[in-house]
Amino acid sequence: MVEEKKKSRNIVRDMSFRVVKATVRAALVYVLYFFLAPLLAPLFVMVPMLAGTIESFVVIYIVLMILSDITEGTIFQYFFSTARALFVIAYLLLSLGDGVISVGYENFSLTVNLTMFYTVAVVLSLLGFAKSILQAIHFLNERAEADAISSGLQP
Amino acid sequence: MNVPIRALGIATSIFWIFLIAFIALAAYSIKDLNFNVGEPQFAPASNGQLLFSMPLYIDNRGFSDLKAFNLTTVFSDFEGSEISKASTYVSVIPHGENVTIFHNVTLDVNGLLGNGAQYLFNDSSLTASVSAGLTFAELLPAQLSTNITYPWGAPFYNFTLGQLSYRYLSATNSSVTVPMSFENHAAFDVDGSIRVELCDSAGSLLSESQTALNVTSHSSYAGDLGFRVPLTLAALSAARNGHFNVYFSTSLFEYGPMVIPYG
Repeated sequence: MVEEKKKSRNIVRDMSFRVVKATVRAALVYVLYFFLAPLLAPLFVMVPMLAGTIESFVVIYIVLMILSDITEGTIFQYFFSTARALFVIAYLLLSLGDGVISVGYENFSLTVNLTMFYTVAVVLSLLGFAKSILQAIHFLNERAEADAISSGLQP
Repeated sequence: MNVPIRALGIATSIFWIFLIAFIALAAYSIKDLNFNVGEPQFAPASNGQLLFSMPLYIDNRGFSDLKAFNLTTVFSDFEGSEISKASTYVSVIPHGENVTIFHNVTLDVNGLLGNGAQYLFNDSSLTASVSAGLTFAELLPAQLSTNITYPWGAPFYNFTLGQLSYRYLSATNSSVTVPMSFENHAAFDVDGSIRVELCDSAGSLLSESQTALNVTSHSSYAGDLGFRVPLTLAALSAARNGHFNVYFSTSLFEYGPMVIPYG
């Protein structure tokens, strides 16, 4: 009875810690966005849609990050971090297309070739994706080992 | 396995930070770039061509150099046919510097008139497709393109030969005077001559007259052309119908004959 009470207290403490950690990380990402967004203001003037899409991207990214942090210690953590990595790749693919952006303004047409940035960003996202998969494999491996040890000790 | 995964995560994060910082600084630099286009000017060039000169002022107060700046202008006529094309290339515009670039395009006026004499006698417009490309922050190539319409003022706008006035000099010679007028709407001075052939209704040349011209830009000209016609009274009455062949010759172009009927 005492042990059960202790266990549930540990779960509450663990959960609280995860929530605090997720909150701090989400706040850090939002602060980063808050300070970087004014730097991108000249681009927002030329491409009015950009501000909205970046905002949506940050919101979805933070939500997936919070879910991943809250489910830490379970396989779901890796599901969410994999989803986050895939979301970044999908966002880059959908928003940048072939990496060449053309914007029309009155009689002017501005074309910016972001292929270099695009390539590096996609490679980094793929690395993030690979990291999540490796972490999931590592997690399952450790759990299987723990199960094998516990089942080996039982008889 | 945990250590390599962590190392991979740290390395990825560091690269992300660098990439985001680079893009943010590059985007922020755009606001410190200042491009200004000066008043374009047309001036006659030495080899019988018209020089279009456009000053471009670039103030690069951004964090990085602008590289491979390339400005290309393609002039086309009202039908869209290419008249002239020119490029100006500047390898580096260092950051913190103010650079003035003169973009020069030569226009072959003879070629322009080959597409139609309307540029000689009617005010029109030339379309310039301007495209400026540069490599921004070392890694981001960008291109800006636009179409600009420049008004073209005709050098012989409203060219008119008036009514012939006859004067008998002798039994075999007569004098014919024709008033000639036009307005120079062009951005350049008209310096040359006009030669006019007076022909009768059968197309035979009766006489010719040549007048030197020096008409400054945006001014008008009015003068008389004098012809000495070796005709009898009977033949003169037959010559009251016919046509003029007008030949224009300036430092920029040669044009003619332009046929103007009279009578």
